[in-house]
Amino acid sequence: MTSPFYGVGIGWRPEISGFVGELPGLRFTEVIAETVPATGPLPPGLARLRERGVTVIPHGVRLSLGGAAPVEPERVAQFAAAAEALDAPLVSEHIAFVRAGGVEAGHLLPLPRTREAVDAVVANVRRVRAAVSVPIALEPIAAIFDWPDEELTEAQFISEIVERSDAMLLLDVANVYANARNRGTDPVAVLDGLPLERIAYCHVAGGDDVDGIYHDTHTAATPQPVLDLITELTARCRPPALMLERDGHYPPAAELTAELTAIAAAAGYPDPTR
Amino acid sequence: MSVSLAAGQEALVAALTGGAPVPAGFDARLVGVARQALLRKRGGVVARHWPMLAAGHGAEWITVFAEWADGRPTNGSLRDGWDFARARGVRGAGAEEELARREAAWVYDGVHEPRPRRMPALRRTPGMVFVQFGGRIFSRRR
Repeated sequence: MTSPFYGVGIGWRPEISGFVGELPGLRFTEVIAETVPATGPLPPGLARLRERGVTVIPHGVRLSLGGAAPVEPERVAQFAAAAEALDAPLVSEHIAFVRAGGVEAGHLLPLPRTREAVDAVVANVRRVRAAVSVPIALEPIAAIFDWPDEELTEAQFISEIVERSDAMLLLDVANVYANARNRGTDPVAVLDGLPLERIAYCHVAGGDDVDGIYHDTHTAATPQPVLDLITELTARCRPPALMLERDGHYPPAAELTAELTAIAAAAGYPDPTR
Repeated sequence: MSVSLAAGQEALVAALTGGAPVPAGFDARLVGVARQALLRKRGGVVARHWPMLAAGHGAEWITVFAEWADGRPTNGSLRDGWDFARARGVRGAGAEEELARREAAWVYDGVHEPRPRRMPALRRTPGMVFVQFGGRIFSRRR
């Protein structure tokens, strides 16, 4: 798929819909798929962006693609309906699981990097692709802990999943940074192992340091090492879009503006705030 | 010995949400860090659904909620906040009114998903009266 160049965007959330809606250079945003009503009108802020021609991608957080159990058909149907309602050119979800044995974890949990887990994700992506008419991009997550007895490196694990499921890659630059920092490895080496030619778009965010562990919380400004990693990435390829994720705590508009400008500068992309 | 993906995921979720022991081979400290992060995040999400309940606890909210929620898997933030409010009570007029308004509008038995009340209902707080009739909520200062 050759996708158009969208540049730098920011995730649409109801709390900052006014700010997002008024960004003059915005061509791309993302909405949490589970919050898009399956029937009935879109939230007004999103509808206005669609009228302006801004592309909106539904971003799933609750499908549990990495669960050992098959994805639940009702969730897949809602996900497909969101893509339809937004007329989205693609959809995205995480390489993670969020429930097991009927219990919700409440967060994205890491998978063991094993062949069995690859098989489970690939099978679930195929189930989703059967219901959704547009391509899917898969996002590796930030993990606070790893599973024992892993068979594959992170890059091998991700590459094998996207290749076998013929998916695109939603690369979260902040997650690459968080994982490398928490595991004491080199983030640039991780980048170089990933199938960068499959990138559909990228996430960028800031996090928090708690007890020596970096948490990808989306509640702080994108830190300099993540901006530097964006520069490394865009020296290797030109992802169609970089998208800032902010959740939970939303700073004043001036801070968001400065952050978007900094991301655009790090990537050498046009500034969406102008 | 490797366990199946399904069994491994189940054991991990039980440790993260239900107070079960950390499965063998995992770094117990890091799983503990993840458990705490999960509880904090859950408290933040509940605060968005129950802003007055959370505001009643001020800066202590995340700590107080996390302590209550530890060992109780989530039923979604609407029910989490409701269960917390019923178990621990609410602080402040705003939180009382937030709860009373929901109690007037919904039937919630603490076990099943809340559903809209079909019969008229009345709930009072020291400062307000909420009447639900035909699915609409009417409120009046006392």
